[in-house]
Amino acid sequence: MLFLAGREAGRLVKTLKIALVGNPNVGKSTVFNTLTGSNQQVGNWTGKTVERKTGKVLRRDLQIELVDLPGTYSLTAYSQEEIITREFIMREKPDVVMAMVDASNIERNLYLILQILELTPRVVLGLNMMDLARSVGITIDVKKLASALKVPVVEIVATKGQGVEEFITEAIRVGQLESISTSPMVEYPEALEEKIAMMEELLAQTVWAKRYPLRWLALKRLEQDREIGQEWKIVEDSGKTSMDSCCDAGDAVKYEIQSSVELPGEALLQAFEAEGWGKEQFEMNIADAKYRYISRLLPQFMTYTDSGEPTWTERIDRWVLSPVWGYPILTGVLALVFWLSFVASAPLGDAVSQVMAWGGDAAVKLLQAVSAPEPLQSLFRDGIFAGVGAVLAFVPQIGIFFVLFSFLQDSGYLARGAFLGDRLMQLMGLHGKSFFSLVSSYGCNVPGIMATRTLEDSKDRLVTMLLNPLIPCVPRLGVMSAVVAAFFPGNWGAAVLLSLLLVSLVLLMLSSLVFRRIVRQKGRSAFVMELPLYHLPTLRNVFWPAWVKTRSFLKRAWTFILAASIVVWVLSSYPHGVPMADTWAGKMGDLLSFIGHPLGFDWRIMVAIVFGFTAKETTLSTLGILYGVTANASQSIAQAMTGSMTALGAYTFLAVYMLYIPCLATVVTMHKESGSLKWTAVGVVYNLLLSFVVGLIIYHGGRALGLR
Amino acid sequence: MQCLLTDLKPMERACVERIEGGGALRRRMMDMGIVPGVELEVIRRAPWGGPLQLRLKGYYLALRRGECAKIIVNTTNRPDLSSLVFC
Repeated sequence: MLFLAGREAGRLVKTLKIALVGNPNVGKSTVFNTLTGSNQQVGNWTGKTVERKTGKVLRRDLQIELVDLPGTYSLTAYSQEEIITREFIMREKPDVVMAMVDASNIERNLYLILQILELTPRVVLGLNMMDLARSVGITIDVKKLASALKVPVVEIVATKGQGVEEFITEAIRVGQLESISTSPMVEYPEALEEKIAMMEELLAQTVWAKRYPLRWLALKRLEQDREIGQEWKIVEDSGKTSMDSCCDAGDAVKYEIQSSVELPGEALLQAFEAEGWGKEQFEMNIADAKYRYISRLLPQFMTYTDSGEPTWTERIDRWVLSPVWGYPILTGVLALVFWLSFVASAPLGDAVSQVMAWGGDAAVKLLQAVSAPEPLQSLFRDGIFAGVGAVLAFVPQIGIFFVLFSFLQDSGYLARGAFLGDRLMQLMGLHGKSFFSLVSSYGCNVPGIMATRTLEDSKDRLVTMLLNPLIPCVPRLGVMSAVVAAFFPGNWGAAVLLSLLLVSLVLLMLSSLVFRRIVRQKGRSAFVMELPLYHLPTLRNVFWPAWVKTRSFLKRAWTFILAASIVVWVLSSYPHGVPMADTWAGKMGDLLSFIGHPLGFDWRIMVAIVFGFTAKETTLSTLGILYGVTANASQSIAQAMTGSMTALGAYTFLAVYMLYIPCLATVVTMHKESGSLKWTAVGVVYNLLLSFVVGLIIYHGGRALGLR
Repeated sequence: MQCLLTDLKPMERACVERIEGGGALRRRMMDMGIVPGVELEVIRRAPWGGPLQLRLKGYYLALRRGECAKIIVNTTNRPDLSSLVFC
């Protein structure tokens, strides 16, 4: 298992491959981050939309490749995460598996551990969250746990970094052992043991028995697992990595299916079937036996004393999930999140705008000093600095939103939100987990679409993905509130913005029903979700994911948005010296007037809407350029519009702007995540049609009612 | 007494007798520890027909009523809340 990788700095360097596995929410990523630090690579598993994280760890003469496998509850190959974890252990054969267990939830966690132990004996257990377990009255004797399972156990407090070093040291020791005694065998009921023995006998002489533990092989054959018997070939990737900020980047190993062989035992399986032991009976009985085995072992190492006192989680849930207070609290929490990310962040956004304006002036002065031509100065001042500046002003908003979102997610509150929101999601024919995705879409649609990965059913996932663009993201809301402030001063503004949000929610519900039809999602998939115990997240777990999302937004600002700002500036400045309406942009707006006219939009609005596709944030700066306002302050841009638009027109614009086509980055992400050009097109066309129709209804309905 | 999991009121506990239907749902339940013989406690029911919050094996699980209606249980009256064992 261990091999020499070559010479480095004059000495032999050995490599070791270690996999980190465990249930979701056991603190796996915290341990992974502690061990690898910044020395990690984040990519995707080949052909899967599940994140693959690998890292290099150096310990003495050892070079360790640590692979963080996705959090999973079992190895039964029904969700992407399970398949990945299983395939990795089966095919890449790590030298050791570092298995993490949540001490406060040890009984269910051990179910996965037993499955892993049947696959490989080289396992080290990391017992995390002992403090949480103690607080609910659970004590675990680590030594006795180790002897019950016959594997080394290390106690860790992942959030404080305690025990993590011991964890990996133990893993290295086990990984370097020449041979290892086989771990405990789950005792199955006699009727099942008989059948396992018969299957083992049949398979013992095959090549498969050399590759996998015989007992495991027999069990999987009885469960009629399709993966067994498939021959896979490793295809080394040429090592090309995509430059994309969010996805891909790197699964170096690819598999190709070479052949699929039916293992012996078909006749035996049919004989069992005749006795009433079909695939499902085997699955159920095998799972049942494992759980029984665990509950028999439990008293050996675990004691539970009910103090009679309610735990923290119980106390919080009494309020948070209460039928009376639950919804007001949820509304309050979400309102606070939005208030903090929009209103409270305003000074930060203004500061960014000011810095950009100052930068623009400085750049112009510099250009004047070297007597650069006037158009170049204008490009810098009105194109680049004004355009990019208007977008960068959203960075504090997005950053704050995602910090709060990560906090809610990691602390366990968001799962409660999904619990409360499930009824509403069910009305829309959605899954409770769609709630996560839709809420994070308020920050930015891109991570919202990526969050659909947690949905197990592919059709649910597609519907949620198509719905995401209907959620107005932070930048969209920012542009909208600037326009609202200009047209509807005072208290009216809040009411108008709220009404628009309500429109988007109603459309979200209706569209969900429409999309379910289009996707032909008839059944409702299961909503089986763990409600984790509350805990205080570490700073890293809150700030790191928020930073990753904000960084990808910043990257877009420097690419798409910079390019868009330059294009808008060119189109609206040339031919040189003509009035704005005669520039290329003006001509383009005229061409589009057949769409704009029914909605009462003038050519400027149409141009801004078209350019908004690159990034919706740019709409404001585009309007700024088109209305000849060279300013950075968003207010004055919107104020310049008030002269040429009625309140009704503005409201129509706001509704259309909120709904039409998601931005380019969203479309790209949608294509990547759905893997289908067709569904991406469906999403885009749907958004365009919906916004046009809604715009028509508002504009003409309003006029019929005598509004202006 | 045999009944459906959906029929239980908050604070009531029961043992899983069997799970109707098959496929992915049953498997998912199995992974989360819902197998025949396991003891469950209903903690609360979300209003307006929302999901149920259950406790089993010392952890909390949310399950929709539709799914709970597929779980046939035997109500138990055992007083000790600590029991994590099979019935």
